[in-house]
Amino acid sequence: MIRRLLLGFATVLIFAALSGMLLAALPPQKSQTTNTAAKPKTSSQAKSADPAPVLTTISVAGVNDIDPAKAFGSKNAPVVMEIFSDYQCPACKQLYTATTQKVLENYVNTGKVYLIHRDFPLPMHAYSRLAASYSRAAAHIGKGDEVEQAIFQNQEKWEMTGDIQGTVAAVLSPAEMRKVQAFVDARTFEPLIEKDRQLGLAVPVTQTPTSVFHANGQTYPYAGSVSYDVLKDFLNQLIGQK
Amino acid sequence: MMQSVPFNYRRIIIWLGRLVLAGVFIYAGYAKITMGRSPRPPLGVALTFFEMQVASYQILPHQASRLVAHTLPFAEIALGLLLLIGWPLRLWATVVTLIIAGFFASVVRAYALGLPINCGCFAKSEPLDGMTVLRDGALLLLALLMTVFAFLEARRPHPWSAPAKP
Repeated sequence: MIRRLLLGFATVLIFAALSGMLLAALPPQKSQTTNTAAKPKTSSQAKSADPAPVLTTISVAGVNDIDPAKAFGSKNAPVVMEIFSDYQCPACKQLYTATTQKVLENYVNTGKVYLIHRDFPLPMHAYSRLAASYSRAAAHIGKGDEVEQAIFQNQEKWEMTGDIQGTVAAVLSPAEMRKVQAFVDARTFEPLIEKDRQLGLAVPVTQTPTSVFHANGQTYPYAGSVSYDVLKDFLNQLIGQK
Repeated sequence: MMQSVPFNYRRIIIWLGRLVLAGVFIYAGYAKITMGRSPRPPLGVALTFFEMQVASYQILPHQASRLVAHTLPFAEIALGLLLLIGWPLRLWATVVTLIIAGFFASVVRAYALGLPINCGCFAKSEPLDGMTVLRDGALLLLALLMTVFAFLEARRPHPWSAPAKP
């Protein structure tokens, strides 16, 4: 009986000691140095009617090769969130409609998160690369939000017919559509899409959507869709880090 | 009186199960808390990241996912240690087997539904695939054998105990 009691006490002591060591070993994080200040900007605000787009990329918080037309929020945000997405993937549509819109509203527009859209068209999806081209082209004439929304919301329709052009044309004026179509025909933004895909392969992205969070010098890749309520808990923890 | 020998195949499997499953559980719990990286992220970040992985299985509601994520890593470490200590073995072996059965059912369901998620087993970016199902199945088999043999062996006198007086 005494032996059993001793064993029981030993069990509790060992676990308590281990837990204490673990908690004590968690070090405080250094605050991260951030980059140049900039006002929050969305792709809709990136008015650039110039038919000859400039394929420049920027770096924010150590994250390189960002197409400014596909990035949103303050560059001083404590968290950078990259979403590797495929326009023909149902889980990507779910993430976009159920979660990303709320993140934009509550975290990006309030300066807490800098959100980057990365194209990661999967080879198994016949039209996702073309959809990415349309979306990217639209973003460079300041119509990225409208076109991305239309592409995702009509995913089931155009993936049957391949008629992405019609889906995009429905939300653009004829003049805007002509510009977008010219970019798509010229494959103007193909290098940026391919660059995003290469960056995804380096993560590595093995499925879409994959979100990569950057905060305090650490990187957290997460595969799959996530509800806003659950993501909110994680973002709050990242933002609240000291 | 039944004969009992120190090392029959049942006792070997019980020991094997205790060592392997204790190691897996302690490592899994520790990896979830530290995310397997150095410097370790704050505990809240690690647990809420695990909460996203629990929720990705789309089985539990939000609050239940949060509860599981905030308790399971510590429970895994505790159960691993209790398996190593081995007292009372039948109780902890049963609990561990039930937990692994729960993991296995969740993994099989996610695999069958084709959910594009990570396993979340060891806090790594590990896509849930056929190998995950096989690995969890093997662990469940080992846990079942360990538990059944622990109950069977408990009916026999311990080989190192004093012989019964006539």
